[in-house]
Amino acid sequence: MIRLFFALIGILIGIIIGFLMPYTYNASYSLYISVAILACLDSVFGGIRSNLEKNFNINIFISGFFGNAALAAFLAYLGDKLGVPLYYAAIFTFGGRLFENFAKIRRIILFRRKETN
Amino acid sequence: MGDIMRRHNPKIILTIFSIIVGIFIANQIKLKLETFTPVTIKSLQATKAEITSVNNEISELNKILKAKEEELALLENIAMGDDNILDILKNDISYNKLYSGQTSLKGPGIVIKMYDNPEERSYGFDLNDDLIHDVDILNILNDLKIAGAEAISVNGERVLSTSEIKCAGPTIRINGRSTATPFVIKAIGDPKLLYASVNAPGTYGDILKIYSIGFETTVEDMLYIPGYKGVFNYRFAKPLGEDD
Repeated sequence: MIRLFFALIGILIGIIIGFLMPYTYNASYSLYISVAILACLDSVFGGIRSNLEKNFNINIFISGFFGNAALAAFLAYLGDKLGVPLYYAAIFTFGGRLFENFAKIRRIILFRRKETN
Repeated sequence: MGDIMRRHNPKIILTIFSIIVGIFIANQIKLKLETFTPVTIKSLQATKAEITSVNNEISELNKILKAKEEELALLENIAMGDDNILDILKNDISYNKLYSGQTSLKGPGIVIKMYDNPEERSYGFDLNDDLIHDVDILNILNDLKIAGAEAISVNGERVLSTSEIKCAGPTIRINGRSTATPFVIKAIGDPKLLYASVNAPGTYGDILKIYSIGFETTVEDMLYIPGYKGVFNYRFAKPLGEDD
């Protein structure tokens, strides 16, 4: 079961490190960061899924991790400038994909268990 | 591609990146943000309206501030210029007291001394004909006013527009105080006119003499008339333009 929760453990470790870190950023960036967090989370879930599917590619993962985060943050920023909440696009896309990835992960794990049983 | 996968354990990489995500999440939590609500056009407009209303309020307050500052500057100027305001107010008070009859006055005028029939023999059949009545005083005062008397007193009581002359048996009451004969009426004004108004043939004073009532008039170069000593207390009358 450990192999399923390594991402969760990583996030928990990250939260602990983040709380211990003395640095904080300006509160006005919080919207961009929160959308970026969603994109990163989606990338991590996608990575777990691809790992379970045995086709994990580090280049795709890293480029997705940072690219998606940057794009989501940029969309939020652009939306702010245009007066249109463009970050909705990021929220819906990455939020939807997050659940999609989670669904696939569940299926993979459950079916694998069935096979082993 | 195969060796990259082998060289980098995906689990380790995923854990590392999960840590990065966790750090960001922790930072976000540390900011302790208020519940974040997306900015809708409606809320934008509401905020805009609020800001404009507040700005209007500020500009109105600034206008008031400006007016008050001007007022203050005026008062400060008065204060700087050797106690101008005090002099102005003092002048105001003395002026108002003078014309409301609260100031003692001096000037030329006449003194009328009135008393009941001093002779033992009665003038007529009616005893009342020998006595001075409130009406007699009132008529004399009216004659003096017609002749342009500027200040009148009866037995030391200043006669104002509100002063009553009330019959109280053998005495009369004026300004709420009883006085008895002899009645000394002082009037400041043109002495000749005042003298004529009560002594010329056919005047009320002349008729009183016929009734053998004591009536002596003397012209004085310098008279002293005291001010009104009572307190004005209007219960019903109010200045126009305050409550309406």
